Amino acid sequence: MHTTPATTYPGTIGAADAAAPSRDLAVPETQSTIYAWMLTTAALFVILALLGVYMRLVQGGALAGLESWFYPMMTLHGIGMAGLWFVASMACACEALRKHVLASSAVAVFALAGTVVGVVLLLVSVFMGRFAAGWYFLYPLPLQGEWPAWSAVTFLLALTVLGVTWLVWSLDILRAVAVKYSLSHALGWHYLRGETEPAVPPAVIIVTVSMIVNVVALVAAVVVLVLFYLELLTGRPSDALLMKNLTFLFGHTLVNLAMYLAIAVVYDALPDYAGRPWKANKIVAISWNSVLLIVLLAYFHHLYMDFVQPATVQYIGQIASYAASLPAAVVTIFGALLLVYHAPMRWTLASVLFFLGLMGWAIGGIGAVIDSTIVANVRLHNTLWVPAHFHTYMLAGFGIIVGHFYHCGRLQAQGRAERTGYHTVLVTLLVASACGFLAMFYVGGAYSVPRRYSVYPIELAHGATYALWAAVFASVFLLTTVLCLIEVVGSWRKGATGGAEAWVGKSAVAGSLRPSTPNAAIGTSAVSRVDQ
Amino acid sequence: MRYTHPNYCYTGRPGGTGLREILSRGLKFLLLVALLMWAGPAWAQEANREVEEGRALFDEKCVVCHTNGGGDHIGPDLAGVVDRRSREWLARFITVPDQVLAEGDPLATELLKKYNGMPMPNLGLSSDDAEDIIQYLAAPPAAAGAAAPPAAREVQPAPEMLFAQSMILYIFLGITLVIVVVFGIVGLSTYEQTDVDVSKAFQLRRVLFTIGLILVASVAIATLPQAPYAKEGTKADRIIYVAARQYEFVFSEEPIVTVEDISRSRRITSLELFGGELVEFRVTSLDVTHGFGIYGPERQLLAQTQAMPGYVNRLLVRMERTGPFLVLCLEYCAGGHHLMEAHFTVDDEEPVASHSTQAPLIAR
Repeated sequence: MHTTPATTYPGTIGAADAAAPSRDLAVPETQSTIYAWMLTTAALFVILALLGVYMRLVQGGALAGLESWFYPMMTLHGIGMAGLWFVASMACACEALRKHVLASSAVAVFALAGTVVGVVLLLVSVFMGRFAAGWYFLYPLPLQGEWPAWSAVTFLLALTVLGVTWLVWSLDILRAVAVKYSLSHALGWHYLRGETEPAVPPAVIIVTVSMIVNVVALVAAVVVLVLFYLELLTGRPSDALLMKNLTFLFGHTLVNLAMYLAIAVVYDALPDYAGRPWKANKIVAISWNSVLLIVLLAYFHHLYMDFVQPATVQYIGQIASYAASLPAAVVTIFGALLLVYHAPMRWTLASVLFFLGLMGWAIGGIGAVIDSTIVANVRLHNTLWVPAHFHTYMLAGFGIIVGHFYHCGRLQAQGRAERTGYHTVLVTLLVASACGFLAMFYVGGAYSVPRRYSVYPIELAHGATYALWAAVFASVFLLTTVLCLIEVVGSWRKGATGGAEAWVGKSAVAGSLRPSTPNAAIGTSAVSRVDQ
Repeated sequence: MRYTHPNYCYTGRPGGTGLREILSRGLKFLLLVALLMWAGPAWAQEANREVEEGRALFDEKCVVCHTNGGGDHIGPDLAGVVDRRSREWLARFITVPDQVLAEGDPLATELLKKYNGMPMPNLGLSSDDAEDIIQYLAAPPAAAGAAAPPAAREVQPAPEMLFAQSMILYIFLGITLVIVVVFGIVGLSTYEQTDVDVSKAFQLRRVLFTIGLILVASVAIATLPQAPYAKEGTKADRIIYVAARQYEFVFSEEPIVTVEDISRSRRITSLELFGGELVEFRVTSLDVTHGFGIYGPERQLLAQTQAMPGYVNRLLVRMERTGPFLVLCLEYCAGGHHLMEAHFTVDDEEPVASHSTQAPLIAR
C-alpha cells in the first residue's frame, strides 16, 4: 500500500480511484441526447470538412468550372463549423455537468431540434439561394450581395432560430446550476475568501462563467438581427461600425466559449485517466472569473484596422487579448501538465485526444496572441494567418470533443478491448495531416496571401500551391477523422467483451477505464486531496 | 457631242445645261453645305453627349463587373459588343436582364454559365440609359476613352519573405517548438510514475506567471507606441481619396461620398507616387465593408485599413520602396471580392525633406 503526503500528487497505480473527483449524481437522463449529438456532430463535421477541402482545391486551381460555388460554400463551411463546434462543446459540457447538476432533458431535446431547424434553414439559404455573405455576415453585406433577398432573409431567420434556441439552452444550464449552487459558489467566489467548502468542480465554474458570457454574446447577436430586420422593414440603415462591434462581440465570444466548454470537459474527464484530482481552488477561481471580463473585451482586436474606432479601445483590445492568455497558460495548461506529469496515466484514444487538444489550444493561442498585437495585425489581418490560428484551436477543440464522445462511449461499454495499435496509427495520421494542413495556412499568412479568395491574384499565385498541398493534407485528415469517428461510434456498442489495455506507458495494469464514483474505489491508497 | 456613260451623265434634260440651271443647282448645293455645316456639329455634339453620358453611366453602373477593352472581369469585356450582338438584344439585356434570363434566352443563359453563374442584376436602367451606354460602347476606342488592355502580368514564384513577416513566423515557430517539447516531456514522463511535490510545482507556477506577466507587459509597452494610429500634427505630403465599392477602388483628388461623385470628381486613373513621400489615403466605401491592403514590390502586405460605409479611415504610409504596388480588398465583399484590386507605382525620387516622421507607417 502506498501513501502519499498531503502536498504531493500521487504517481502510483490505484491512486486514481481515491483521488478522482466525486460524482454527486449519476443520472443517465441526457444519455440519448449526447448520443444524438455525437451522430449529428460526426455527420455534419464530415460534410462541412468536405466543403473545406473543396475550397482549398478551388484555390489551388484544381476544380476549374466549379469556382462559382466557392463563396456560398465558404459561408456554409464557416458558420457551420463555428456553430457545430459550439453546440458540440455545449452538449459535451452538459454531459460532463450531468454528474453534478441536472439540466432539463426537455430543453436538451429542444436545443437539438432547434439546431437542426436552424441548420436546415441555412442549407436552404445557401444551396437554393446561393447566399454567400460569409460566416460573420458583416453588415451591410447580406443586403447587398448578388443573391436574392429571400435567401438573406432565410439566413437571418436561421440565425434567429439558432440564437433563440441556444439562449434558452444557456439559460436552462444556468437554472440547473442555480438549483444546486448559489451564484457565489458556482463562480467559486468562496475560494477567493479562503473557504474550501462547498467543493465546486472546476467544470461547474467554467460552465457557469461561459453561460453568463454566452448570454451577453447572444443578446448582442439578437440586437444585430433586430437591426437587420428593422432595415429590411423600414429601409433605415444602421451604423456600420456599431454593427461590426456587435457582430464581433457575438462571433468572437461564441467561438472562444466553444473552446472554454471543451476545456471544462477536459477538467472533468482527464483526472479519470491521470489518476489524480483536478480540483477547483483560489487560483482556478481567479483565473476563470477573470475570463468572464477579459473575453468580452478581447474582441476589439477584430477591429484594429478600423482606424475610426477610438485608439484607447484598440489598446484595450491588445491588453485584453494578452491578458486572456495568462490564465489559460499559467492555470489551465500548467494545471493539465501538472496533472499528467509522472502520473499513472492511462493513455487511451480519449486521453491522447484531450492531451493533444490542450497542446493545439496552446499553439493556436500563440498564433492568436501574435495576431492580436496591433503592429503585427497590420501585416496579418485577413491573411491566411487568421484561418491558420483558428483552425489550430478548432481542430484542437474537435479533438477534445471526439475524445469526450469516445470517453462517454467507453463508460457505456466497459470491458471492451481498445485497439491500441490501430489507434496509434490513427492519431499519428491525424497529427501529421493536421500539421501539414495548418502549416500551409501559416506559411501563406506569413506571405500575405489573403484569406477568402476563390482565385488568387497573379502576384500571389504561389498561394495556389499552398492551397493544393493543404487540400491533400486535409483529405488525409478527413479520411482519418472518419475512421476515428467510426471507432468512436463503435465504442458505444454495449456488451462487448475483452479486457482493456493501456495504450502506452507502464500503466497497463491500471486496467480498464472505470467511471470513478465514490464507491468504486478499487485501490486503497490513502491519498489526501490537494487543494492548492 | 454628248458624253454618255451608264454611270456618269451630266445631263438631265436633252439640249444641254443652261446657266440658270447651273446657278440654281449651285445655290442648292451651297444651301445643303450650309445646312450640313450647321447641323453636323449639332448632331456630332448630340452623339458626343450620348457617349459622355454613356461613359458616366458605364463608370457608375457597369464597371463593377465589365471593362471596355480591359479584358474580362466578373462579366465579359464589352469592347466591340455592339458588333457581336444586336442593339435590340443589348438594350433589353441592359434594362431587364432578369426577365431575359427568366425567359431562358439562350445567349443570356450561355453567358450566365460562362461567367460562374453570376447573373447580371437589374440595375433599374431606362431605355434612354441603355441607348447611351450602347452609344458609348459603339464609339471608337479613342472617343470612348477605353482602357488600354492591362500589361500582361506573369506568374512569379514566392518572393523572399519580408523581415517583419519572417520575424512573426519564426517567433511563432519558436514558441510552438517549446510547447511541443514541454508536452512531449510531460507525456513521456508518464512512463515513470512518481509522486510530484505540488508545493514546488505551485512555486514554479508563480515564477512562470511572473515571467509571463513581465514578458507580456514588455511586449505591450514596446509595441503599442508603434500602432498605426496617427500622432497629432502629422501632415502628409499628398492626400489620395479612395472610394471602395463592389468591386473596384476609385482613386480621386477630391472626396467621393456618393456613387454620383465618381463621374463628377477628378478621378486618378493612373496613380504615381514618389519614393519618400508621406501619403495619406482617406479610405471610405460606397456600399459594403472592404479592405484596403497595400502590397509592396515584394508582393507582401505593408499597410492596410478597412473601407467602411459612412466612415473615412485615414491611412498614412511613407513610400520607402519604389516599384509597382498592388492594392487588394482584404475584407470579403461578395462574388467579385477576389477581382477587386488596384495598382499604383512609386517612382524613384529624392525623399521629401520637409517631413521626417520617425515611424515609416503612420496612420489615423
